Amino acid sequence: MISYIVRRVLIGVLTLFVITFLVYGLIRSMPGTPLTTALAEMDPTKSIRQEDFERLKRTYGLDKPWYEGYVVWLANVAEGDLGRSIPRKQPVARLIGERIGATLLLTVPSLILAYVLSIPLGLWATAHSGTLRERTTSTALYMLYALPTFVAALYLQLLLAVKLEWLPLMGITSPDYAHMSVFGKAWDVFLHALMPMICFTYGSLAYETRFIKSNMEEVIRQDYIRTARAKGVGPVRVIVHHAFRNTLIPMVTLIGLTLPALLSGAVILERIFSWPGMGSLFFESLRERDYPTIMGLTLMFSFLTLLGQLLADLLYAVVDPRVTYS
Amino acid sequence: MSSVPVEQPAVTAALETPSRGFWSEAWRQFRRRKLSLAALAFVIGMGVSALFAPAIAGTKPLVTRYKGELYFPAMAYYNRSWENAIFRTQDKFRGRYPQNLKQKDPESWAIWPLVYQDPQRRLYRDEWEGIPPNPTGAKGKPYLYYLWLKGWDSLFGTNYVEEEFGELLKDGPLPFNLFGATDRGVDVFAQMVHGAQTAMLVGFVSMGIAAAIGITTGAAAGYFGGWIDILLSRVIEVVMCIPALVLILALLAIVERPSIWHIMVVIGITGWTGIARLTRGEFLKLKQMEYVTAAKALGAGRARIMFRHILRNALAPILVPIAFGIASAILVESALSFLGFGDPTRPSWGKLLDQGRDSIQEMWWLILFPGLAIFFTVLAYNLIGEGLQEATDPRMRQAGH
Repeated sequence: MISYIVRRVLIGVLTLFVITFLVYGLIRSMPGTPLTTALAEMDPTKSIRQEDFERLKRTYGLDKPWYEGYVVWLANVAEGDLGRSIPRKQPVARLIGERIGATLLLTVPSLILAYVLSIPLGLWATAHSGTLRERTTSTALYMLYALPTFVAALYLQLLLAVKLEWLPLMGITSPDYAHMSVFGKAWDVFLHALMPMICFTYGSLAYETRFIKSNMEEVIRQDYIRTARAKGVGPVRVIVHHAFRNTLIPMVTLIGLTLPALLSGAVILERIFSWPGMGSLFFESLRERDYPTIMGLTLMFSFLTLLGQLLADLLYAVVDPRVTYS
Repeated sequence: MSSVPVEQPAVTAALETPSRGFWSEAWRQFRRRKLSLAALAFVIGMGVSALFAPAIAGTKPLVTRYKGELYFPAMAYYNRSWENAIFRTQDKFRGRYPQNLKQKDPESWAIWPLVYQDPQRRLYRDEWEGIPPNPTGAKGKPYLYYLWLKGWDSLFGTNYVEEEFGELLKDGPLPFNLFGATDRGVDVFAQMVHGAQTAMLVGFVSMGIAAAIGITTGAAAGYFGGWIDILLSRVIEVVMCIPALVLILALLAIVERPSIWHIMVVIGITGWTGIARLTRGEFLKLKQMEYVTAAKALGAGRARIMFRHILRNALAPILVPIAFGIASAILVESALSFLGFGDPTRPSWGKLLDQGRDSIQEMWWLILFPGLAIFFTVLAYNLIGEGLQEATDPRMRQAGH
């Protein structure tokens, strides 16, 4: 077990090196630099003197070729320093810290909500498999699964914000947020978060319900289920106790794989709702060619992806005693 | 004893009829799923209308006889340089055919597209006698909406048409913008029909690229094994771990002005990992089979074994992620256009949604119709993928699905 983990971690570190190296090379070869894009946005008439430009480039280490820049970045990361954002003039770690809350505010509740709803729904669908009610529910869920989130987000905005005016269109707080009471502030953020949260939830809800149902369908045909029924175990107990417990293994894998989505947010959703989270930070830094921020975020996302895969594999061995890694 | 003569002919008959081939059996299974079949019909219909988009909506005649010669100006919608030089430079039509044809050659005739609307520009006043110009601003309400309200009014005695369309009807006949018009007066229906062309093209070309890369990589990794497998598996893992948006946007930014072809290539070279992993697994499994050993013993070369013997048997499961991949390629293209990274010269569903987002307060039709188009297309490809999965997986067939 230990040697397996060590091997996986070593391979993971190697993969991280390759990923960051490639991404660094890619973003450095995009046309424009953080200096030019920031200047063009400030004032196009105010041109910068050539020597000042060169001096700025030296300060940020952009005068060196990209592979040298990568080594510098890597050395800083090894010391625990993600660098400073060039256009925002702030440490990358602090930028991420500022945005992480907004994203977690959406992803954590929607992840929990999706599981809390999909498990009973999936079990219910298995128990009533083939009936009209189950068919209708499953078809509706399948259609939800195929509905792209950005289309759903725009439809929700049209219906709930523009037509019915129940919810605010976008943003995270109202303009008069500063003058609200504590309860009023919480309520205001909740109202703003409702639509993006629905968009984050419905897709995984549909997917997980289908996932649970298809796993249950396989388990329910096993001999031990028939045995349990034959010895007179009630239908609810058969479904929950005998069948569902045996579908936990693939579920655990699924949870491990959703880990990166927890922090990455979703670029398009956060853009539609003007939500100040990780997704919009990522999009903005790509547009501003803010190399340190892009690299910091990429490192975090790929690290989480690899960690999620490793955790899924390890949990697999924990839940299923037949699986060993020795 | 009496049962023997009854049974015997049945047995011999069963032996004499040739057994069904894999694909005809798969097709038989696929046909049994009515939803997948409907999805296939939808996709074929969509493909045909995308192919003949210039015949459905456009402002250039399909066929015209002008100064004694036959021309096909609508071909310009496929490729701008295919518009005959006589209309572009010599007689300077500037894209306005109806008047110019009549003025410069009264003898001329032309066959027009079904709907006289252009996906790139608005209709101007008096472009064609009797056809009103497209309104600009937020006034280009859908004609479909007008019909809907009219039906509602006549059924329930309300007066919604007057409320919504009163001012527009005062100016004369209502412009025929089936799905409405953008704030610059470009018809949405024409953009959507031509946008279907973009979507279908992106779906097939980028998935073709992804399938070629994925199958080759997966086949090599699975068949050769050893260090080639280790290396290629690492490559697959690396590509999977890089955030897709970074990869796509960075690759697109390298090209100065990305066209639809660049976008397709980029979607293709970022979307092959799933196919590669599946192909690798199938090859690992199938290379152990007896017929592969037999082919080897007969002296077949590596390439022949890989692509003629193994791939043909692995193709069915590989088709499933390809069908799902077409859906996701279409989705990625509309998402890119929505974020403003699309091809500026081509109509696209995502671009319409982007315009709709900017004017969400009044122009709901810029969101409703393209959104439905994306939704139904993605749904159809998912249903086809699902149908393929169930039709080609013998385990599921035995389970009675």
